[in-house]
Amino acid sequence: MLRLLGYLLKNGVATSKEYCPSPGEEVIGLPKLASNNCIGSECSKCSDICPTEAISVLDGGPNANLELDLGKCIGCAMCIRVCPEKTFSSNATTQTAAENRKSLVLSTKALDTQAVNDIEEVRSPFARSVACRVVSTGCSACDLELSAASNSIFDMERFGIQIVASPRFADVLLVTGPVPKAMHAALKSCYDAMAEPKRVIAVGTCAISGGLHVSGYAEANGIADILPVDVYIPGCPPHPWSIIDGIRKVMR
Amino acid sequence: MNIDIIPIEAELRQDALLSWLNQPGKRLGLITSIDGGQIVTLLLDTADSAATLWESKISDCKYNSLTPRITQAHWMERTMWDMFGLEPNHHPRLKHNLLHEPYEEKFYPLRKDNDVVAPSGHRQYHSLKVKGDGIYEIPVGPIHAGIIEPGHFHFSCVGEIIFNLEIRLGYVHRGIEKRLAELNWKKQRFLVEAAASDSAAAYALAHAVALESSIDLIVPEKAQHLRSLALEIERVAMHISDLTGLAADVGFLAISSSLGRLRGASLGMAELVSGNRFLKGFICPGGVIQDPDNNLSKLKAKAKNLQKELEPVIRYFLTNQVVLDRMENIGKVSERLAKDFGLVGVAGRASNQEYDARHHFSAGVYPLLKPAIVLETEGDVFCRAKVRVAELVNSLAFIDMLLETMPSGLHCTNMPDVLRANAVGLGIVEAHRGELIHLVFTDEQGNCKRYAIKDPSVNNWTGLAIAARNNLVSDFPLCNKSFSLSYSGHDL
Repeated sequence: MLRLLGYLLKNGVATSKEYCPSPGEEVIGLPKLASNNCIGSECSKCSDICPTEAISVLDGGPNANLELDLGKCIGCAMCIRVCPEKTFSSNATTQTAAENRKSLVLSTKALDTQAVNDIEEVRSPFARSVACRVVSTGCSACDLELSAASNSIFDMERFGIQIVASPRFADVLLVTGPVPKAMHAALKSCYDAMAEPKRVIAVGTCAISGGLHVSGYAEANGIADILPVDVYIPGCPPHPWSIIDGIRKVMR
Repeated sequence: MNIDIIPIEAELRQDALLSWLNQPGKRLGLITSIDGGQIVTLLLDTADSAATLWESKISDCKYNSLTPRITQAHWMERTMWDMFGLEPNHHPRLKHNLLHEPYEEKFYPLRKDNDVVAPSGHRQYHSLKVKGDGIYEIPVGPIHAGIIEPGHFHFSCVGEIIFNLEIRLGYVHRGIEKRLAELNWKKQRFLVEAAASDSAAAYALAHAVALESSIDLIVPEKAQHLRSLALEIERVAMHISDLTGLAADVGFLAISSSLGRLRGASLGMAELVSGNRFLKGFICPGGVIQDPDNNLSKLKAKAKNLQKELEPVIRYFLTNQVVLDRMENIGKVSERLAKDFGLVGVAGRASNQEYDARHHFSAGVYPLLKPAIVLETEGDVFCRAKVRVAELVNSLAFIDMLLETMPSGLHCTNMPDVLRANAVGLGIVEAHRGELIHLVFTDEQGNCKRYAIKDPSVNNWTGLAIAARNNLVSDFPLCNKSFSLSYSGHDL
């Protein structure tokens, strides 16, 4: 036991000192749109290859109007790989969460609004601490990243974010996964069991839009039709920093 | 891999399969259907690395169940009832598996002609009733107290002892197999990875191998190396993650937080190879999507460092007396039951089942190069932990070896635009949980008409129900963690 203590002391503090540090060069983040040489419908390589129909080509080029919905994007980077004009590039940030579904839709016509930060001036009831209940309805990737957000590197408890074991204790409902049919009732009853005031956060692309599973017979179309959503955290899965940054949006 | 397709009458399957399973090294891979008009049974011969597919025509949606004599068929027959409306006669516990009450009575998503008459009450679910003095029930889930996927556990207990555990799944059934048969093969891999993202590399590899085997495509040597590299990194990350959970469940927080930190290092290795913490999007039919050559020296250093850092943590964990007290003789699965239920992966090898798909079936560099099979005999929680630890160490050494012997050349070769018509493709991969099978059938135009997936958890969920019996309720979380099964991979 003394040796173990020695080992722990020797390893020191693992917790990251920076908030949302930039990831390494090798990391492929969610895409962003860059200076626009896009020829739109004359090319359409990006929208053809996109597995989730997250890209809409609205007209032809030059300077074509193209929209990218991060709420549908799974970050597969195929648009970055196929675009001949480098309209898409990897966005090396983990601060991607938004409080407004529309601000997840990027457009080549509004390149300067890609870092929309729509903070309301109303003071949050959860300014200093927030208790979160997790309901998982998906493939476990978002769950693993949520668990990782509690480990000693990210340590989300230092920001006042706590995961609780009952909806009765919770201020915030974190939902991962596309919510297939068999989970609709369980999710609703979990939300109903929470006391007011309460917030809902959609963690990951599946929870936001159904992602790859949308419009199937299992009705796994995300939570938008089932619960009111306050914060959207895009990604497949979102990075632990993105999750922490997203949860903090209900805290200010 | 060549697959022999043999027509056989449905009623003759039982005796033939029994004599098949009595031979050493022969296994049942998967039982399913293509469109409801037949049953296909996949047989695996690990000694010869061969696969055989039995096709049995079914005309009236009824057949005699294999389950009374071949126990491991029970789960797959329930799934077939849900997805195709094929009703097994004499199945001892026939109830739905994937499609819950909210679905319509006569809905069979994978059936071509949807005109079967369902027996009434098809969608109702009744848990097994245990009767007797002092028996009480504990229902848990589908939503659990922690950050876990959804599933329902129904315990029947006497005092603190679990008498019976019934596991009900299907809560994350997203209709993946149906969607896969509708998609162009080029887009399938993203959905395949999302079926169970903690096994994204294994799923992508099984998909790629299945498609490539259907057109007899040979993948460049470098791609094979990189694919195995990805698979082993995933194994390292998930074995560390599962050991983290075990340490947390016995309350050994110094170890669980140290392992949690070290898992981060393995995800960093994944990023160096693929740009993604879960290796998503890396393996594609034809090879891999990018050549990470520039990062391989960094990766080598990271793997070496992780190996060094893991050693003391694992030593402190496995030699602690409290850990031994909590794990030894808990959650036992005997060798005989492990064989009868066809347990795979870590759970199988902890009960002395000598089967590791990396040794028998070709995918990546296997079975040309492969790490040793790790076996334990007691089948308890501690054995499953020990198998994980040994495989973790082996995988890290194997990663080092793969990096040493990395060939030069292309990382990808071209796939044809359209797959071969009327072909069958099979991919068998040892995921971190065990044997993962992908089986693809194409139609006259070369489109995918049926895509079947068998996650290792399909075999092992029953193993957990057996392991929990006669144990304390309070030991269940530990049993559960020691199996570490996938809900989403099972539910699809």
